[in-house]
Amino acid sequence: MNDFSFRFFDGRISGRLHRYAPVLAVLFTILLLTLLATSAAMGSFEISLPGLWAALTSPASGQTETTVLWELRLPRFIAACLVGAMLGLSGALLQGVTRNPLADPSLVGVSQGASLAVVALIILFPTTSLFWRPLCAFGGAILASLLIQWISAGRSSAQSLRFILVGIGLAALISSVTTAALTYGQINLAMEALSWLAGSVHTASWKVCQVLIIGFLVLSPLLVWVASPLAVLRFGPEISSALGLNVRRARFTVITLSVALAALAVSVAGPIGFVGLLAPQLVHRLIPSRPGTHLFLTAFVGALIVALADLVGRTAAAPIQLPAGLVSSIIGAPIFAILLLRRVRTSLS
Amino acid sequence: MRLFSSATRLLPAALALLFVVAIFHIGFGAKAIALGDIWQAIWAFDDRNFDHVVIRQMRLPRLLAAMTVGASLSVAGALMQGVTRNPLADPGLLGLLSGASFGVVVGAAVLGIDSDSLIPVFAVLGALAAALLVAAISFFAPGANSRAMLLLAGAAVSLFLAANVSALNLLNEEGFASFRVWLSGAITTDAAKMLPWCLPWCVIGLAVALFSARQVTALSMGHKTATGLGVDTKKLSLRLLFCVVSLTAASVALVGPLGFVGLVVPHATRLVVGSDYRHVIPFSALFGAIFLLIVDLVARTVLSPVEISTGVVTSLLGAPLFLVLIRRVL
Repeated sequence: MNDFSFRFFDGRISGRLHRYAPVLAVLFTILLLTLLATSAAMGSFEISLPGLWAALTSPASGQTETTVLWELRLPRFIAACLVGAMLGLSGALLQGVTRNPLADPSLVGVSQGASLAVVALIILFPTTSLFWRPLCAFGGAILASLLIQWISAGRSSAQSLRFILVGIGLAALISSVTTAALTYGQINLAMEALSWLAGSVHTASWKVCQVLIIGFLVLSPLLVWVASPLAVLRFGPEISSALGLNVRRARFTVITLSVALAALAVSVAGPIGFVGLLAPQLVHRLIPSRPGTHLFLTAFVGALIVALADLVGRTAAAPIQLPAGLVSSIIGAPIFAILLLRRVRTSLS
Repeated sequence: MRLFSSATRLLPAALALLFVVAIFHIGFGAKAIALGDIWQAIWAFDDRNFDHVVIRQMRLPRLLAAMTVGASLSVAGALMQGVTRNPLADPGLLGLLSGASFGVVVGAAVLGIDSDSLIPVFAVLGALAAALLVAAISFFAPGANSRAMLLLAGAAVSLFLAANVSALNLLNEEGFASFRVWLSGAITTDAAKMLPWCLPWCVIGLAVALFSARQVTALSMGHKTATGLGVDTKKLSLRLLFCVVSLTAASVALVGPLGFVGLVVPHATRLVVGSDYRHVIPFSALFGAIFLLIVDLVARTVLSPVEISTGVVTSLLGAPLFLVLIRRVL
């Protein structure tokens, strides 16, 4: 057996974990810390490791290291990690509930729905505060997800592929509406929206992090709550019903949560492609695990992917900054093709 | 639902419609130009008359570009649907448009090719690479060559190439300004200088398509049937691949990627003339030219003085049809 069980407090907290799950969690934490150190040190202004440590432990105002670290690189890294974690989780939930390994909020139009709503907000009401963007994004994303489900509903044969294709079509449609909206708006507002649409965390500040952290804190208890229905939903709607799950309600909850996570991430960073596809699949390949563990590790991997994409994007072709969304797409699209090639025969028919 | 018992009887009507739409296309714009002036500008050109200069140097090239691209993309779409026997096939959905754009951007921005005559060549190379990549992925994937798999492979390739195009554009900024409008699929007056270099590719592609129409009909009934009817399917597929690639690539080199034209027009054409490719191909070309002229007219005038990119309008019209088709075929 690869599992081990644990019981604490007389069995009040108990569970079963894959043997390697804690090992992976530790490994990911180490990787994340290494990435943090690298991201903080590298860039147009190089900071040595001792200097980094000094700026971190005893920040002195007015010192360049301190300003660069605390005002620019740290919030940017944290925003990248949170955005990545949320996109990864959103993808994992979407893949779990549709039982489709190719589902990804940016591929099926959810992110595009959120983008359209935010672009509309930027162009029509340019003065509104940053806190309105997530709500607006959520509205757009939930509309997009309802549309996909409504259009792809029906015959169950090839339904999972149909879901993805409907999503791709819808994404194209929504993107063209967004582009049309951009030509209609004022040029300076359109430029702001355009830079945001490329999918980047370069504007991240502590205020942005604040929005992300509050949102994440609100949504994460729901993640714990959703893990057990997700475990049952894996077996398909018939068996889930037989096991006593209210399938409609469970699906609705999981999809809403997935959409909310994607919307929050998109409202801050714009659409960053393929993270929601890659992170869950990567964890899946590393260890076979139950949804709880899977979600937990997926959040780590998502954070790693976006933080790495951002680091590569801003250092590879310095002084030009490539948005993280472009880097993740250039890496992610070939992996999507590989997933198509070695599909996953069991879950898609 | 065949409106005309004989497609040939439709031909004069379609040509007349094309003529009327073309007149509107020339006449409307930032400055409306009277019918008589258009006539004079073509037959009795006077270079001191401002309207004549506008027509000769701006409106006519734009008209010609829109017609060529509309016809080329529609025929390319019709051929792809016939060869793959997949009603959802389209140069954009199967990655050829992004392939051609990628080729042009690599040629112009990375290799610094300056001559207009080589731009279509790079577009052809890019589109060909994309087409082969999509074919390879969908061929080797489990459940090979299913309709959905072809489209998913197309999506993967287009997303990858589109991201690369954006990255290349960001990396050399002076090129970005000139590519930004072109990449959204806009028919502009810039098309005039590319027209002589792109037109031959389109004309050859259209001629080969018309010439092969009879065999495409056989092929659309399946490879076995086609072989039984005496068609060399391998040779034909190869010829049609180059035909589709050159039509798509020349269109992209001319006006940028226009999505969904190759999906919308052949389906509309089939509703009218049936599924015989001897009719589908010529009428797709005609209807494609008419369709794109109307779309371009709308894109130019509806929000004037702002011009929407023509590519945005074709996607707005085409994507809903794509969704309807998915519901029906998959």
